[in-house]
Amino acid sequence: MLELELKRGDVVRLEGMLSLQIKDGKVSISGGLHEKGYKLVIPRAKSLPLEAETDAVIEYTLGESGSVERLAERTISREWDELIAEILREKPRLVMVIGNVDVGKSFFTTYVANTLLKHGIRAAALDGDVGQSDIGPPSTMGIGIFERPVGLMHEVPTRAAYFVGSMSPSNHMLEFIVGMKKLVELGLKEVDMVIVNTPGMISHGPGRALQLYVMELLNPDLIVALQRGRELEHLLMAAPPVKIRRIPVYEKVRSRSIAERTALRWMALARYFEGSSRIVLDLRKVKLGRCYYRTGDPIDPKTLGVRAPIVYAEKLPEGLLVVAESALDDEAMQELGAKFGQVKMIIKGSEQNVLVGLMDSANVFLGIGIIDEIDYARERMAVITPIRNGDKIAMVQFGSMKVKPTGEEIGTIKPGTF
Amino acid sequence: MTFEQSELQRLVDEIIELLQRYGNDPGALEAVFSELRAMYQRIPIYSGIIASLLPKVVQPVELGQLKEGSEITVVLKDNRAIAGKVSHIAPEEIKLVGCRQFERPKLCEELVLPASEVREMRLLTRGILDKERPSEIRK
Repeated sequence: MLELELKRGDVVRLEGMLSLQIKDGKVSISGGLHEKGYKLVIPRAKSLPLEAETDAVIEYTLGESGSVERLAERTISREWDELIAEILREKPRLVMVIGNVDVGKSFFTTYVANTLLKHGIRAAALDGDVGQSDIGPPSTMGIGIFERPVGLMHEVPTRAAYFVGSMSPSNHMLEFIVGMKKLVELGLKEVDMVIVNTPGMISHGPGRALQLYVMELLNPDLIVALQRGRELEHLLMAAPPVKIRRIPVYEKVRSRSIAERTALRWMALARYFEGSSRIVLDLRKVKLGRCYYRTGDPIDPKTLGVRAPIVYAEKLPEGLLVVAESALDDEAMQELGAKFGQVKMIIKGSEQNVLVGLMDSANVFLGIGIIDEIDYARERMAVITPIRNGDKIAMVQFGSMKVKPTGEEIGTIKPGTF
Repeated sequence: MTFEQSELQRLVDEIIELLQRYGNDPGALEAVFSELRAMYQRIPIYSGIIASLLPKVVQPVELGQLKEGSEITVVLKDNRAIAGKVSHIAPEEIKLVGCRQFERPKLCEELVLPASEVREMRLLTRGILDKERPSEIRK
């Protein structure tokens, strides 16, 4: 354990992996005031500034790539303080933070919420970064209420989450937009202010569409544009008529490589699934969502009149869905196609490792799970999940990722497979 | 799995299927690509319509169904592929005009290329997904 003595006003930059404890004095981390006894673990590929509010002593341990660096001055710019003063004065109910990846949106959100808390304003953060989500497990967006100051946003307890089903809004725009709206509505009922932290997709068709439609749907009172240069101006030119504040990005903000982002996601998934168990769900009682499977009229495979290893079949408005032990040959596909039109084929076993969202009977998100197996004939689905009370699960929503409980992402599934 | 949120996926599936089906027939592939480009320029937002029409660009046809003026491609028994317009049909033969003939690629173990003969050269990268977007930190 190393020790660092700080004079009032000293600023240090903490780079993870690092764990620290305040031994004496008061320090400010992410706008939140912390005293003796406070502990914080900064994961790898994340960094934070710490400011001594009094003479202080911190104890710390460095992990892989961890470091502590003394800085000559504060990293929080005058513009941030002015903006917070404006927020305190005008008390907007909904603030939307936009910016490219690695501009410090999560840090900014945490800083603002912590500072508001000091002034008695309860704020919630909606973390829309589904891949690197600090609130809620990866593949979800989550909302959390700042009841006490935190160093990192992931210390904020998840109040509610929405399952997007992927690590990016790409190809999941509808889920993303619906989730944002539902969580903002929930947050506005419970706190003074909701701060929406949007993903870093800011350009090209999908990025522009995502940002502008979210702005239009949520109708925020204030948009905070965190930009290095003019990279958000194309969005701001087309934004609805709301108050916009442009804030420069701190020049030393740490950028993360694709590999580091992937590693962070894997670690977060591994942590989430630690201690999970395998539970078996009765598909006669549990509904399935975001899939074709079990949305039609079941057909006895023997009545299909084809010689093929089909274990399950159902008639859909789009045609026929079959589950087979192995791929059907061209002859069988043509025969079924002539009778039913489009044939959707699921190979038994391909469902293994599919990421799913688990909901209760009120459609409230309980957690995520990984499909281990579906017994199509017996109508059972085995899921690996940390959720203890399996009886609460009333719906399973299919996602687009295949992952292992160790956090490893195996791949993605083609939309519409199941 | 979440639903398809556009018909673009269906179009990509169709293109992959046609590339596989007509890999031995460059004339057919040229027609598919040309129609794809023309349709995509005219109705880019209706990828579902393009996907449903693309397989109809190339259809199997019997000698008895041919009409003069039709554009066809033919793969001969020696694997040569020929594309052209039918100008005359007889019971024993078909006469084509405006023909293009595609030779089957030949395998050669080793080849020495004089640098002076090279007009263009392109580097190929296989497994590009893993190389460009590694899914783990490689040390």
